[in-house]
Amino acid sequence: MTFSPSTRTGLSAGAALLLLAALAIVPRFVQSPYALHVLILIFLSTIMGQAWNILGGYTGQYSVGHAAYFGVGAYVTVSLMLHRQIAPWVGMWAGAAAVVVVALVIGSICFRLRGPYFVLASIAVTEIMRLVATNLKDLTNGAEGILATEIPPLKFGATVITDFGSKVPFYYIGLGLAVLTILVTWAVTHSKLGYCFQAIREDQDAAHSLGINPTLYKNIALAISAVLTSFAGAFYAIYVGFVDPPTVLGLDLSVQIVLICIIGGIGTIQGPMVGACILVPLSEILRSNAVPELLMKWGWMNGESGIGLFLKENLAHAHVLIYGILVVLVILYMPEGLVGFLRRVTRGRRAA
Amino acid sequence: MDVFLQSLISGILLGGVYALIGTGLTLIFGVMRVINFAHGDIQMVGMYLTYLLFVHAGIDPFVSVLITFPLMFLFGGLIQKVFINRVLDALPQNQILLTIGLGLIMSNTAMLIFTSDYKILTTSYSSGSVKLGGISISQPMTISFLITVAVTAALWWFLKKTDTGQAIRATAQDRDAAQLMGINVKRMSIIAFGLGSSLVATAGALIAPTYYIYPQVGAAFTLKAFVITVLGGMGSIVGAALGGIIIGISESMGAAYIGAGWKDVVVFALFLLVLLLKPSGLMGKSNA
Repeated sequence: MTFSPSTRTGLSAGAALLLLAALAIVPRFVQSPYALHVLILIFLSTIMGQAWNILGGYTGQYSVGHAAYFGVGAYVTVSLMLHRQIAPWVGMWAGAAAVVVVALVIGSICFRLRGPYFVLASIAVTEIMRLVATNLKDLTNGAEGILATEIPPLKFGATVITDFGSKVPFYYIGLGLAVLTILVTWAVTHSKLGYCFQAIREDQDAAHSLGINPTLYKNIALAISAVLTSFAGAFYAIYVGFVDPPTVLGLDLSVQIVLICIIGGIGTIQGPMVGACILVPLSEILRSNAVPELLMKWGWMNGESGIGLFLKENLAHAHVLIYGILVVLVILYMPEGLVGFLRRVTRGRRAA
Repeated sequence: MDVFLQSLISGILLGGVYALIGTGLTLIFGVMRVINFAHGDIQMVGMYLTYLLFVHAGIDPFVSVLITFPLMFLFGGLIQKVFINRVLDALPQNQILLTIGLGLIMSNTAMLIFTSDYKILTTSYSSGSVKLGGISISQPMTISFLITVAVTAALWWFLKKTDTGQAIRATAQDRDAAQLMGINVKRMSIIAFGLGSSLVATAGALIAPTYYIYPQVGAAFTLKAFVITVLGGMGSIVGAALGGIIIGISESMGAAYIGAGWKDVVVFALFLLVLLLKPSGLMGKSNA
C-alpha cells in the first residue's frame, strides 16, 4: 500500500493523537508506582534526547556537554524553590533564562571549532561547570548536593490542583513536557529555521555561501536545545528531589543524552522516543535484578551457585553496560539508528 | 620558594605519566585519525591487571609492566581489528561514539567483576619519599618517572630506526601514499592501536601504587589525555610528551596556589585557551 505524503502526515498525526490519548489515561488503569516511574523516566529521556536532536541531529553539532544545560536548569529551579520560595513551575523559566546566557557563552567558545574539536570543547566547558559547582559550596552545597523534597502544592486561585503526594502529577508534567518538546522540534524542523539548520549540517561552507550565517543559526539551535534540556533538568530535580554535581552535570549524563538519540536515530522526530523506549526499560530491568531472578525461575541458573550469587550481587550495578553494548552494535550495524534502519528495511521491501 | 620548587618537581614527576598517556592517544590519532574515547578505560584495564598481578602473583607493579605491556598490546590490537577497523571511513562522530561505547563496556564489565569498591595497591614504598633540601620527592613517583623516560626513549627509537616504526610514521603522514608504497596500512593500524593501548596501560601500572583503582577511574584520564594531546598538537609524539609535562606542572601548581579542588579547572581552562588560540597545538602543523 502506498500513500501520498499528505495522507501519510495525516495518518501519523492521527496515530500520534491516539498514542497521546492512550498515554493520558494510563494513570487511571495503572496503579503501580514503579510502572509509572518507568514511564516518567521514558518521558524524561525523550525530552533530553529530543532537545539534543535539535542541535546534534538537525544542525549536526555533536555536543557531548548537554549536562551543562540540564544541570543549570536543575540547580536554578531547586535553589529558587529552597531559598526564595519560588515554585518550580515559575523557577524553571528563570532556569531557562540562565541557560540561554550559559548557552550563548558556551556557543561563543565552542562554535569556533568544528568536528572532533567541537566535541572536545563541549566536554571541557561542561567539566569546568561541574568542577565549579563542586567547589562553590555556598551556592550549590558542593559535592553533598541539595535535597529538595518539599514541593509547594500547585494551586489555581484557591483550589489546590495537586500536592504532589503521588507519582501521577509528575506523570502528567513529564508527558506534557515531552509533548511540548516534540511539538517544538516538529515546528522548528518544518520551518525556514529548520531548513537552515539542516543546510548547515549537510555542508556548512555551502550554506554560508548561500547567505546562511552559520554562527547565528548554530547559536539559535543551541539556545532552543538548551532551554528544552533545562526543562528536563528542572523536572528531574523536583521529581527526584536531589541534585549533586556528578548526576546533573557529569559527563555520563551528557553521553547518555547523545546515546538516546543515536540508538533511536538522529535527525528524526521518532528517534529519541524510540531510543528512550528501548534504553530506559532495558536499564531498569538490569537495575531491578530481574534477569538473574528470571534465569533462576526458569531453572537455567542455580541461585546458590557461584555465578548465580555473583550475578545477583553485581548485575544491578552495571546497568549502564547495556548502553555500551547497544551503541557499539548500532554504530557497527545500523549507523542511522533504529528508526533509519527500519525505514530502510521497509523502503527496500516496498521497492521490491 | 620551597612550595614552588616542590610543586614544580611533583608536577614534572606526574607529567611523565601524563606524557605516556598522551603519547598513546596521539599515536592512535596520528595513524587512524580516530579520537579514542576509551583511552582512559584501557588505562583502567591496565590498572586492574597490575592489581591482580600484585595481589595474586605478588609481582611488583613496576616489574609487572613487562607483562602488562605485551598483554595490553594484544588487547588493543584485538579492539582495533574487531571494532575500530570497521569505522575508519565513517563519520568522526560515529568513531567517537563507538569508542565511547567500548569504554562503557570496559568500565561496566570491570564493575561487574570487581564491584565499584576502591582498591588500593600498597607496596612497601608506596608512601616512601626522599628529602632533598626542603623538598620531599616521592619514591614511587620517581621510579615511575624513570620508567616513562625509558619507555618514551624506546618508542622514539622504534619509530625512528626500525622498518615497522618508519612504516607507522609513513602511514600517519599519508595513509594512501603509504599504501601505494606497499605498506600494509591495516597492519600498521593494528600495531599503532596496540602500542597506544600498551603505553596508556603502562601509565596505569605506574600510577597504580599511588592511586585508587576503581572501574570509573578512566573517564578523568581520558579527558586529561585529550588536553595533553591537543596541547601538544594532535599526532605529534614530541608534543604529547611536552604536553604531559606542562599539564603535570599546571596541575600541581594549581593545587598549590589556587586549591586542590580547582586544579582541574586550571587544566581545562588551559585546554580551551589552546583550542581557541592555537588549535593545532604547540608542536602541530599550522594547517592541521
